[in-house]
Amino acid sequence: MSQFPLNSLPPDSSALRARVREFVAANLPAGWRRNSDFMSGYDADFSAKLGAQGWIGMTWPRQYGGGEHSYLERYVVTEELLAAGAPISAHWFADRQTGPLLLHFGSEIQRERYLPSICRGECFFSIGMSEPDSGSDLASIRTSARAVDGGWLVNGSKLWTSFAHLNQHMVTLVRTAPPSDKRHEGMSQLIIDLNGDGVEVNPITNMAGRAEFNEVVFTDAFVPRENLVGIEGEGWQQVTSELAHERSGPERFLSTFRVYVELIRLLGRTPAQHQAAAVGRITAQLMTLRRLSISVAGMLEAGQTPNLEAALVKELGNNFEKALLEMTRQAVPEQGDRGAYEAAYIESLLLSPSITLRGGTREVLRGVIARGLGLR
Amino acid sequence: MSTVTVNDTLLLANDTLLLDSADRLFGDHCDQSTLDQAAAGHFPEALWQAIVTNGFHQVARQDSGVALSDAFHLIRVAAQRGVPLPLAEALLAARWLDSDGDEFLAIGAVGTDGRATLPWGQRAASCLALTAQHTLCRLDTTAGSQTKNLAGEPCLIVDAAQQAALTTDDNPLLMLALAKAACTAGALEKTLALSLRYVQERHQFGRPIASFQAIQHALAVMAAEVAAARQATDAAIAMLAQPRLEFEIAAARIRCAQASTLVAEAAHQVHGAIGFTQEHALQHFTRRLWAWRDDYGSENYWQQVLGRHLCELGATDADNIWDFIATRY
Ligand SMILES: Cc1cc2nc3c(=O)[nH]c(=O)nc-3n(C[C@H](O)[C@H](O)[C@H](O)COP(=O)(O)OP(=O)(O)OC[C@H]3O[C@@H](n4cnc5c(N)ncnc54)[C@H](O)[C@@H]3O)c2cc1C
Repeated sequence: MSQFPLNSLPPDSSALRARVREFVAANLPAGWRRNSDFMSGYDADFSAKLGAQGWIGMTWPRQYGGGEHSYLERYVVTEELLAAGAPISAHWFADRQTGPLLLHFGSEIQRERYLPSICRGECFFSIGMSEPDSGSDLASIRTSARAVDGGWLVNGSKLWTSFAHLNQHMVTLVRTAPPSDKRHEGMSQLIIDLNGDGVEVNPITNMAGRAEFNEVVFTDAFVPRENLVGIEGEGWQQVTSELAHERSGPERFLSTFRVYVELIRLLGRTPAQHQAAAVGRITAQLMTLRRLSISVAGMLEAGQTPNLEAALVKELGNNFEKALLEMTRQAVPEQGDRGAYEAAYIESLLLSPSITLRGGTREVLRGVIARGLGLR
Repeated sequence: MSTVTVNDTLLLANDTLLLDSADRLFGDHCDQSTLDQAAAGHFPEALWQAIVTNGFHQVARQDSGVALSDAFHLIRVAAQRGVPLPLAEALLAARWLDSDGDEFLAIGAVGTDGRATLPWGQRAASCLALTAQHTLCRLDTTAGSQTKNLAGEPCLIVDAAQQAALTTDDNPLLMLALAKAACTAGALEKTLALSLRYVQERHQFGRPIASFQAIQHALAVMAAEVAAARQATDAAIAMLAQPRLEFEIAAARIRCAQASTLVAEAAHQVHGAIGFTQEHALQHFTRRLWAWRDDYGSENYWQQVLGRHLCELGATDADNIWDFIATRY
């Protein structure tokens, strides 16, 4: 038996796909340069319009503003938005991570407070895990939450927090108990108001010249008890239980998709041998990755937790996203109107180092896979 | 918007009874000595007899009662077990010759020199070849010379200049190419399994080499490649009744070839010198992986097929590119 059962999309997905395409064509901001990386376009208005279509929180219960659609329908919407290069960063983490987290572990009050406004595309979350001294070794975090009357006082800092300068809230992994020999214990997830007292957000400019991630510094920031997500001390288990959602989606292989489209556009009908070969090679990988990713979506739909499979998709997808740039570079013609291709290529090349870092580095992912294979 | 589909479902491997019993049979009749004997030029008679006795040699025939998709999965299972026979060719030859006999049948490809190379052709009752125009012909094999191919199979070389054409409703290139993808997927799984076992058994520096991160990562990369090749192959098999079959097969062949290069290299690396010996099982599989990358359409050929199609689509309208990728099936 294959680990990845073949899956097809539901029959009515074609109509849904057509609606998304129509919507994107009508609503892309004027002059918007399409980029398929999920972090490359933050536009709260666009997110609100998507919310109005019912395309945020698609799989969540209606009671909280969701659409009770399947993961496969969500898949269709997500891949269409990514392929079109639409700006989706604003609601991205809330839709992919915070919502499912609150549905699994959140309190009723939290669900009612946040989920409907996430679905409307009005309430945006960041994910606060990494710190200056804690990257791959996430369990070594030091940001502390000291219990006080009615809640906690948080001190420390988070680093590389995407869009913390624009989003309202952050699900923050903190130590509610000091480190012990059981290093995965004593951590908790708190919802922190990024505009609250004692919270300072300092944007960091990345090598592409864009300020997307941040340093977030806490100085006696008060967090009320009701903002604890799930169970105190079980933050680690809660964080790791959602990894399959985060690692296997189409965003793990479409980041550099526009470069491939622009290359084909430039090549025209009569590519040379090596150029056709490059396009064929990229296409084969794209087709296959999409099938693997849809297979994982099917497993999620069936209520499984395919952590190994999701890690395999991220490993293959992220390496492909980078390799795509090199394959197009080797194939791009010297002549022709190269403007659109070059713009896409440079933009993607400049973001490419982050591809195998964010969401777990390549080395960490390979460790996860090796564990899944029984080697560790 | 999306391609018109003939069939509304994917053809999934459904005859698990057939595949399980084939797997058992191949496992029982195909050990290290079968592989070594075949590589030394001795036809695996007992294995072929067992295949015939169970009727597996007929599964690809029109009236076999077995779905064609399952015949391709059976081919995959055989390669995974290391069956040292061109079983894919034998099954397809029985289909195209509509043969209900028990003879072994062979197929080869005609090269640029006008000669056909037929793996195990010397043992075959009838031989077919895929011509340069991708049609089929029957070969007269009374006069031929012998050689060995990269996979280690003894081959008959026959002049294919004046041969009788054989017509079929199938596209023979596509069927043979898909069969090679199925073989590759199976052999890749076996190569991964051999490697996984070896790194846990082999000790150096007082511990299993599997405990070294470099080895773990090598195996992780291999596992990812194998999963991709298998998925692409399963998809192509499942699309047998779809109009885009040619491109699904191209994708499968490209993905399998890419995985083969990488997995064969890594498998030898983690096996150390023992894997470089003739007596070790590994080489039977890695040599086949290398060979199959370019059988019935080289890796480059299939890249051209798929790449040119995308360029054609994109030249009409760039939106066609994504539309092609974003198929429902
Ligand atoms: C664009 C971008 C956006 C991000 N957004 C967020 C966000 O929103 N929220 C958030 O919390 N974090 C975010 N991150 C941080 C991201 O999760 C970390 O970069 C990642 O976990 C790696 O941590 P690090 O950068 O500290 O590298 P390190 O962990 O220091 O790693 C450096 C290198 O050492 C390797 N390495 C580390 N440990 C091992 C080991 N045991 N074995 C082998 N190799 C090892 C790594 O693989 C890497 O190659 C973002 C990062 C980027 C680039």
